[in-house]
Amino acid sequence: MTRRVTQTAAFCLRRLRYQPSIPQRSCAIAVQNFSTTSRNNATTAAAPKPAGVQVPVDFAPTTKPPSARPTETRKSQMIRTYTSMLRTTPLILFFQHSNITAEEWAAIRRELKKALEAVPATTSLPGSAPVDISSHVKLEVVRTNMLNVALKIVEFHDPEAAAAKSTTARTSRGPIVHDLSQAAYEAINKDVPEDSAYAQIQPLMVGPLATLVIPAVSPAHLAAALTILAPVPGKFPAPKKKKSPGFHDSTCQNGLAKLLLVGGRIEGQIFDQSGVNWVGGIEGGLDGLRAQLVHVLQSAGLGLSTALEGHSKSLWLTLESRKTQLEEESGEKKSE
Amino acid sequence: MLTKYLTEVTAKFNPFSACAKPARLFLTYLPPNARSSGMKINTTLLPRTSAEKSSLLVKFKDGKELKFETDKINIKGVVGECDRHSRQLQKADDLMD
Repeated sequence: MTRRVTQTAAFCLRRLRYQPSIPQRSCAIAVQNFSTTSRNNATTAAAPKPAGVQVPVDFAPTTKPPSARPTETRKSQMIRTYTSMLRTTPLILFFQHSNITAEEWAAIRRELKKALEAVPATTSLPGSAPVDISSHVKLEVVRTNMLNVALKIVEFHDPEAAAAKSTTARTSRGPIVHDLSQAAYEAINKDVPEDSAYAQIQPLMVGPLATLVIPAVSPAHLAAALTILAPVPGKFPAPKKKKSPGFHDSTCQNGLAKLLLVGGRIEGQIFDQSGVNWVGGIEGGLDGLRAQLVHVLQSAGLGLSTALEGHSKSLWLTLESRKTQLEEESGEKKSE
Repeated sequence: MLTKYLTEVTAKFNPFSACAKPARLFLTYLPPNARSSGMKINTTLLPRTSAEKSSLLVKFKDGKELKFETDKINIKGVVGECDRHSRQLQKADDLMD
């Protein structure tokens, strides 16, 4: 008798949960409490679902939403770390490191820190207090394959677009569109478009990679880092022996010989070594670039107005000279 | 990989092309103290737009030079070729002792 009562009650509750006015979660709890069968049977029994619409995934704790990849593994968490880094960091340089020992890494990081500390703090917005980002600039070894996946997720997985799709799995709190979700997995397993930034950077993702992460587009910091990591004589000269003897230490030099700048990702665009050097060579940072732009626009206006003026001016000059010539001729004739 | 009999490695590659892979990976096969133990390693990075193909030149102690066009061979092939000659040198070395 009790069994029959619970069965009918459970059926009614299941029907009720598809009514929009009733909160989904309370329904789910109620259904589970009324059911005498196991939870698996109860969920499969809730069959009548409209085609094309995903039934909400219940029993998903807020701290651990359902995911397509195993969340406990180091690799999955690395993907999350890298995607957040790629989304928030505008300036990343990629280096190849071939068998650099721990001592050499320590020496390189020490010299890098020293060079960055010499850079004065900059203001990003006019009127705001100067921010010193040099302590947040980091040279880190990354796992190449995980970074490769993260780059794909950042470029091809659009959480908002995925949320709008009807095929995306949902919980009572909303669609599952985080970086480890099935939606993200499906988005990155399509063909790579030729014109995407990922298609350009894909060949770089080979072998052991290290990244230099600068949390703002600051050419001054970039230039300071380049003088240590990839010096260019004339443009980014290596520090003098007297000034920083540690840089000319054999450990540091050995390590730097094995560190190769292969490319950079600046504001989502992919640059090669010369492109990175160009960005590092912008004087005065973003403000300097703005000043250059203003100068270009102003001089263009000046050039245009002179060009337009030029024709009428020359016409006037010719006519004027012809006039004087005629006057001279007539004067000469009169005098004769 | 046997690196004992290598004296000079010259790698030239454009990192933005797929054919740079064997050259880049070959550099990672060299031991950490390669430079201090007398091996000459020259790396040239080509600009992104250059059409020049990546190449790898390996010189051995007996003067033999191996040149690889890295778009036609993979890293396994490069290592195999180098090891084949290194083993010959090793054999000769062992017989001398």
